[in-house]
Amino acid sequence: KMALYNFKKIMVVPTSKEFIDITLSKTQRKTPTVVHKHYQIHRIRHFYMRKVKFTQQNYHDRLSQILTDFPKLDDIHPFYADLMNVLYDKDHYKLALGQINIAKNLIDNVSKDYVRLMKYGDSLYRCKQLKRAALGRMCTIMKRQKQSLEYLEQVRQHLSRLPTIDPNTRTLLLCGYPNVGKSSFINKVTRADVEVQPYAFTTKSLFVGHMDYKYLRWQVVDTPGILDHPLEERNTIEMQAITALAHLRSAVLYVMDVSEQCGQTLEQQLELFNNIRPLFANKPLLIVANKCDVKKISELTEEDQKIFADLTAEGISVIETSTLTEEGVMTVKTEACDKLLAHRVDGKMKGKKVHDVLNRLHLAVPAKRDEKARPPFIPEGARIGRKTMEVDAPKQYWDLMNQDEKYDVIPEIWEGHNIADYIDPDIMKNLEDLEKEEELKVKAGEYETDEESEDEEMQEIRQLAKQIREKRKLKIVCSKDKDVHGPRLPRTVKKVERKTLEKEMGDLGLDMTGKDDSHYAVNARRSRSVGVAKKRKREASVVPTSRTRSQSASRPPRDQSGVRDPKMAKQAKKLMKNQQKDMNRQGKKGEADRHVFDLKPKHLFSGKRKSGTNDHR
Amino acid sequence: MCLLPQPQNEHIELHRKRHGQRLDHQERKRKKESREAHERSHKARKMIGLKAKLYHKQRHSEKIQMKKTLKMHEQRKTKQKNDDKTPEGAVPAYLLDREGQSRAKILSNMIKQKRKEKAGKWEVPLPKVRAQGETEVLKVIRTGKRQKKAWKRMVTKVCFVGDNFTRKPPKYERFIRPMGLRFKKAHVTHPELKATFCLPILGVKKNPSSPLYTTLGVITKGTVVEVNVSELGLVTQGGKVIWGKYAQVTNNPENDGCINAVLLV
Repeated sequence: KMALYNFKKIMVVPTSKEFIDITLSKTQRKTPTVVHKHYQIHRIRHFYMRKVKFTQQNYHDRLSQILTDFPKLDDIHPFYADLMNVLYDKDHYKLALGQINIAKNLIDNVSKDYVRLMKYGDSLYRCKQLKRAALGRMCTIMKRQKQSLEYLEQVRQHLSRLPTIDPNTRTLLLCGYPNVGKSSFINKVTRADVEVQPYAFTTKSLFVGHMDYKYLRWQVVDTPGILDHPLEERNTIEMQAITALAHLRSAVLYVMDVSEQCGQTLEQQLELFNNIRPLFANKPLLIVANKCDVKKISELTEEDQKIFADLTAEGISVIETSTLTEEGVMTVKTEACDKLLAHRVDGKMKGKKVHDVLNRLHLAVPAKRDEKARPPFIPEGARIGRKTMEVDAPKQYWDLMNQDEKYDVIPEIWEGHNIADYIDPDIMKNLEDLEKEEELKVKAGEYETDEESEDEEMQEIRQLAKQIREKRKLKIVCSKDKDVHGPRLPRTVKKVERKTLEKEMGDLGLDMTGKDDSHYAVNARRSRSVGVAKKRKREASVVPTSRTRSQSASRPPRDQSGVRDPKMAKQAKKLMKNQQKDMNRQGKKGEADRHVFDLKPKHLFSGKRKSGTNDHR
Repeated sequence: MCLLPQPQNEHIELHRKRHGQRLDHQERKRKKESREAHERSHKARKMIGLKAKLYHKQRHSEKIQMKKTLKMHEQRKTKQKNDDKTPEGAVPAYLLDREGQSRAKILSNMIKQKRKEKAGKWEVPLPKVRAQGETEVLKVIRTGKRQKKAWKRMVTKVCFVGDNFTRKPPKYERFIRPMGLRFKKAHVTHPELKATFCLPILGVKKNPSSPLYTTLGVITKGTVVEVNVSELGLVTQGGKVIWGKYAQVTNNPENDGCINAVLLV
């Protein structure tokens, strides 16, 4: 049983041509493709039998899925069974599914026969021909199902768009002539957005909307209008309304157009009402006299008023509404819901299940001891107390700007705030007390910090912390001011000047004098540019002190030897960089790095070789 | 159980009616349609493999159809004189008295056929058929404790055994006709009606390769088989119902898994 009556999960039904294409191409892709004449015969046989069985399996699976996805008319609620009969013709539907079933069985049989025959195949040619015959036969069977598959696809598309109406829950059903205002009513009461137009049969199928009442969820079902002719002559659109009326256990709201704008007189509407009366058996009934903003019942002629009077006399409540001005809509809603609830509760009480609940309920009454009457006793004091609690009295003494608002109901929540939080009759007094207390506390010095209790260590730590905070703020401000464009380099890339290093260290308290021989200073001096080297040559008075320096002066570095001008130097550098690019991209350490990280990359050695190359697969 | 209103019935069309379409809908549609030709050609050029073969075949037939319709449209524009107004078989006035000839031809044909029937010579659709050797049709089955005896043979072609067929005791049976290869029905085509019926086989009349095969009931290409034609409802001139006729097998049943035959009228 479909719990939610949700027909949206049915798989798409392919056309017969597509079906064949899909299955055959699947067989070609998912089964081995290579076989040779010289293989052993059992291997050849197995190869071809596999193909036949694979194709059969695919067809079988897909057809079974179609058969299980589509609802069986006997298994679903009679409302849906009837609706589907009205919309899609039960016979045609069953036939189509029957044809699919037959096709499935035929395909199974074909496969069985040909696999049996293939066991006697003694050559590759014979097995191949048998496989070809088998697949061809299966596809011919599918070709014949073209009509059934097309029909089922259309049914599926329409089914998936049907509204999900729960036949067992509380439902209000709207019915009446076309154009009386049923769709407008449902638009007013629920969030459903049904199209409302001045021409008849705007609503061509059932629509459902949901609303809340008394903390319960209610369904409102809008039907297409029904005309007054016998059941046999009704067309599909009207039959949907009849089906809904017949099968849904709901409260029926018969909508009538008092102003006769729908094109039918009140007599005709009454005629229709009497004709479909049998369908309202066992259902709470309500007559909605709509469009009362145009014409009220009291403005009608005597005979027409008599109609309504008769109906009221029969016990059917008639309520005047106007979906335009929304007058009476809520009354209808509440009355219909109440009636339906009462009806349902009645039904449940009469049923068998209620005893399970009733048996568990027991009202315990104390056993009577004697005949003395002992009514409930309320002492005088409580009575007086209750009187003083009466709220009305103080209200007349309130002094409000707008005197009319004195007796208005105070809301519980206003502008997102809970009003009860702000009400306290003693609030002024409490505030004064609090302030007094605070004053006393301040005087007593409760809020002053205890500085003497801190020892030297804590004070030092506090001072240090203060310094750290200051310095941090400074750094943040500095870095924000820097306004760095381009990529952010890590700190270690930047060259740190000797001056800044010595200054910073000096600030921290380190002794930075006499650091000419230190490692960092020596290294800084070592890296020289060409210009500096030339300068050194000219200064003959400065005698090179160490050998390394003199050597390097006479022999230029390799990237500068033979380079005549900066232009050439630039070109040379460019060439070098171009060579480097490839190596860098492959992560090589240098020219001589021949290491191959992945000798057998998986993507080049696995999978099918489709275009005949191994370079990319 | 829905907090939002559910889309119902023709919600798509309703939305289009209420809100219209995108502001650039027409333009997008036009551009998409004009791109279709390019995409189709790109697909046709880049496709490879089996998919491509199927696609090109289908496309080729489509193009032929297109060309035909174009030609037809062209022809409709020009008006041509309709030449063949004279019906077929129309005889000029000076030849009218030679009508009797055709009827006489029919009569003499019938006589000839009756003579042929008596003589037993048949005009068959497949006069010459490749002879099937014994190694092809019969497979040697080895038996015995040491699998040395080789006197049993198994038929590897499709065969027919009658209704009341019972095997000889397995120990003595020389020719094995496996159940998987026994067929009872044949798809028989009537050459004039051009209709095919699935008729039960009555028996094997003659196998062109060897009389041994005829007795065994082996059905290969060219075998003449007797089929039960009561389904067709043929009646002789005398009023008797014909229920058996000969048909010749036109395919290799062991390769196709079915027996296709042509009725010998």
